[in-house]
Amino acid sequence: MLLNYLKIAWKVLLRHPFYTFITLFGITLTLTVLMVLTSFLDHLFGAHYPEGNRNRSLYITMMMQTDSARESVNTGPYSFQFLKRHAKTLKSAERVSIASMFGFSNSYVGGKRIKLNTKFTDADFWHVTNYKFLEGKPYNDQTIAQGERVVVITDDLKKQYFEESTESVIGKTIEIESITYKVMGVVRGGPPTRVYTYADVFFPYTAPKSNYQNAGMRGGYQAIVLAKTPGDRPEIQAEYDNAIRQIPLPAKENGFTFSVIVAKADTYFDGFLRTFLRSDNEPNRLAFYGIASLVLLMFMGLPAINLVNVNVSRMLERASEIGVRKAFGAPSQTLLGQFIIENIFITFIGGVFALGLSYLIIYYINSSGLIAYADLTINWVVFVTSLGVCLLFGLLSGVLPALKMSRLKIVDALKA
Amino acid sequence: MIRHLFKLIWNKKGAHSLLIIEIWASFMVLFGVLSLIIYNFTNYLQPIGFSYDRVWVVDLSNNQDTVGVAAKNQRIFDMISAYTEVESASRMSNNTPFSANQMNNNVTYNKISAVPDMYETDDNLYETLDLKLLAGRWYRKEDQVSKFRPVVLNKVLAEKFFQDENPLGKILSKEDKKPFKVVGIVDTFKAKGEFMSNAPAIFVQNESMSDWVQPILIRTRPGTDATFEARLVKDIAALAPGWGIEVSYMTESRQNRHKLTLIPVIIFLIISGFLLTNVALGLFGILNLNISRRRSEIGLRRAMGATGWNVTLQILGEMWTLSLFSILIGLLFAVQFPLLHVFDLAAGVYLWAMVAALLTIFVIVTLCAWYPGQQAARIHPATALHEE
Amino acid sequence: MIHLKNVEKVYRTSSIETLALSNINLHIQKKEFVSIMGPSGCGKSTLLNIMGLLDAPSQGTMELDGNPVNNFQDKALARLRNEKLGFIFQSFHLINDLSVLDNVEIPLLYRRSSARERRLLAQQALEKVGLSNRMSHFPRQLSGGQKQRVAIARAIVGRPEIILADEPTGNLDSAMGNEILSILQQLNSEGATIVMVTHDEAMAKRTHRLVRLFDGSQVL
Repeated sequence: MLLNYLKIAWKVLLRHPFYTFITLFGITLTLTVLMVLTSFLDHLFGAHYPEGNRNRSLYITMMMQTDSARESVNTGPYSFQFLKRHAKTLKSAERVSIASMFGFSNSYVGGKRIKLNTKFTDADFWHVTNYKFLEGKPYNDQTIAQGERVVVITDDLKKQYFEESTESVIGKTIEIESITYKVMGVVRGGPPTRVYTYADVFFPYTAPKSNYQNAGMRGGYQAIVLAKTPGDRPEIQAEYDNAIRQIPLPAKENGFTFSVIVAKADTYFDGFLRTFLRSDNEPNRLAFYGIASLVLLMFMGLPAINLVNVNVSRMLERASEIGVRKAFGAPSQTLLGQFIIENIFITFIGGVFALGLSYLIIYYINSSGLIAYADLTINWVVFVTSLGVCLLFGLLSGVLPALKMSRLKIVDALKA
Repeated sequence: MIRHLFKLIWNKKGAHSLLIIEIWASFMVLFGVLSLIIYNFTNYLQPIGFSYDRVWVVDLSNNQDTVGVAAKNQRIFDMISAYTEVESASRMSNNTPFSANQMNNNVTYNKISAVPDMYETDDNLYETLDLKLLAGRWYRKEDQVSKFRPVVLNKVLAEKFFQDENPLGKILSKEDKKPFKVVGIVDTFKAKGEFMSNAPAIFVQNESMSDWVQPILIRTRPGTDATFEARLVKDIAALAPGWGIEVSYMTESRQNRHKLTLIPVIIFLIISGFLLTNVALGLFGILNLNISRRRSEIGLRRAMGATGWNVTLQILGEMWTLSLFSILIGLLFAVQFPLLHVFDLAAGVYLWAMVAALLTIFVIVTLCAWYPGQQAARIHPATALHEE
Repeated sequence: MIHLKNVEKVYRTSSIETLALSNINLHIQKKEFVSIMGPSGCGKSTLLNIMGLLDAPSQGTMELDGNPVNNFQDKALARLRNEKLGFIFQSFHLINDLSVLDNVEIPLLYRRSSARERRLLAQQALEKVGLSNRMSHFPRQLSGGQKQRVAIARAIVGRPEIILADEPTGNLDSAMGNEILSILQQLNSEGATIVMVTHDEAMAKRTHRLVRLFDGSQVL
């Protein structure tokens, strides 16, 4: 039965190469856009190198200070000392790492300028992230305590600074802003889209210019909290909230008196939304979701309507075939089933094309250097999502016309 | 004939509803993308108002060093000004051109209040950035003594405050601070790059530039390269050990700014381009099928004296009418944007976007209906009428 | 009025030639009511199509009002069809999405006339066939006889001199068929020239002249 359906489906597709082309084109295009998009979102929000632990991590990135009327607001990352006191001490966490937001600097070799992104970190940073050491090893608490002038660099920076050297560069020196550092380790770099871990050079936080000594609440540091299991995270969040509540208020910083502080340990995605919307109030978030889903609906709905439209027209053209089938006693469900299978069939062919096309596009994005260290992949999550969407489209564009068709009276179908 | 088409479409509105939705959605997508493009394009047409080639920005931070910051600042600046590679150097607040920083302040004149971008600068900025003065002059050292702080406005802000009056010498008030006196007018100043709108801007003289660590802008001589940059960084580091020093080229930060604007536009353009191709192909297919379903009607019209051109025109006219319906619905949505001031764009941008979207839809629809229309004209009435 | 001289019609496909009409000579006078009979596939419809300027003969000439129309361009033919000819078909060919009144107006759309004038003429035509109370109905709501009456109204709305009817009663029962024929006779008596293809001997007898076709040739 199924094979028979597929045979018919195949014949129908070949009978109208042009409409098959239109339908396939629409499906392929829509799915490709979707797959590249999901792949990109996965790149942004999924757990990937060097944040492979993202699923059991919390990010403490921003503090908001405001007066009780919420008229003046100061927002920004934390000071090292504040995080040391309130985040580092979280008992329910496995480990907590404090690192600065990435800064900018330049290094000069032989009349050439190398742009650098710098980051000051503690030793736990190398446990919380899963940076892979190609050479050497990370600095530890002892190195930090002794204030040694050491750095960990990325393979990319090694290539630029040491002129494609294939030998190990451990123990060699690198000069940044007139200060000489010894290279302690070389890691494989990560993409700049992972802002909490991205840098070209990593310094121990006791290195010059890190400003870890600053008192006060705000500064240039953020913390990544690693939980033992993803399920532990609510407990850690509660503990951190509690720690924040203990802070005496109102307080004063840089001449600004505030009576409310908002400081949260967020999952990556929540933190992203909080930074992106610059607000934690519910209506804003709802508005964001509203607009985002509207745009998505528009972009996904248009091809869907188009598909349904083409399908309806195609089915009307086949009305007489339907009449004959019904006249010979095919029940409505069988007819419905036939159309649905036919549509799923064509959708899956489109899916296969889309897979190939997305692979090409993703390959292009990865190799074009548009995003350094881009690691967009078609992983199984993306693939399964796309197949699911594939199916949904097949049903959406199949059921509506098919229902309309199978309700057609035999006489009408035969007459037309 | 038009009335006839309207009736034909109206009576078949049920069957056409999906098509109408499709064209409506296409119109909305086009309207959105075109608004974005037109907004950026009209901005791009306005001159940027300053010259950024060969200009470097030196960002400094004193970090833990709090001893004699003002003196060190002054010494660094004097040293930079003295290099032969430096044509001109100046200091300004950290909202330097193409940077992510922004500073807005409320300024009032005669009950007209504005919130321009405010740039606190020294007397050299005019030269370093090669600003274009329309009237008056840039502030000088002598201005410091008066009881007003001298300011230079850009043309948009001057027009907002003074309309036809001569702005020079006018006094502006800024809350409880020392009032401003206008000494000059520059043309445009689009600090965030060509794609920024020509927003009101005000330059305020800052007489104590050394008190805080401020960015230094340097216009270098042609041919200056990274070797000088390395020397510059080394010299500053020697003067102020422990300070953070970051040199960036304005040409590069401008590119980054442009990317921020252009990449979303390009992504939207590509996606909506594909969407519209999709829709166009779909329309074309549907129309073709419709023609084959309507052979007898077309045959009849031919028998009743319609020429081939009449038939083509009818197919085109039906699609135009249908598009008009859809676009009218779309316009109901689109006018909400300027009416409710969504996104704070000028109403003109939306208006042009509507017109452009409307024209695009009509072009697409005409292209899609042209071939089926021609096919329809070729239908032989004798055969079409006897098929049943 | 219509004059066919040595008309021949050959249909060619890539492999087969079919002779649909051969050596037809037919003269139809003004105000004549002529019926054409013959078995299926004898070329009646082809003949009617040629007279209706919907098809061109392969050989021979067709004259309308003494003018040969063989070499007329599409635009000129369309104009002649519009002004001189009215068509009635076996399967009515009404447009389902238009009301009765709008259907009747169609021929007037292809000439210069105002909306008011169109409306007036269409109403008069519908009155003539006795359907002025059905003007805003849609074809789906009408019986077969009513549909054919609408089609007749549409054929006469442009005041053509010639009405070509292709088995106008073929889809109707005899009572309705008689009614339709009476209307045609009435129109003929008011001055219209009518050519009607029919299967029905009784109908044919009520016309002035009968032309019989067999296998593409005129036998009577």
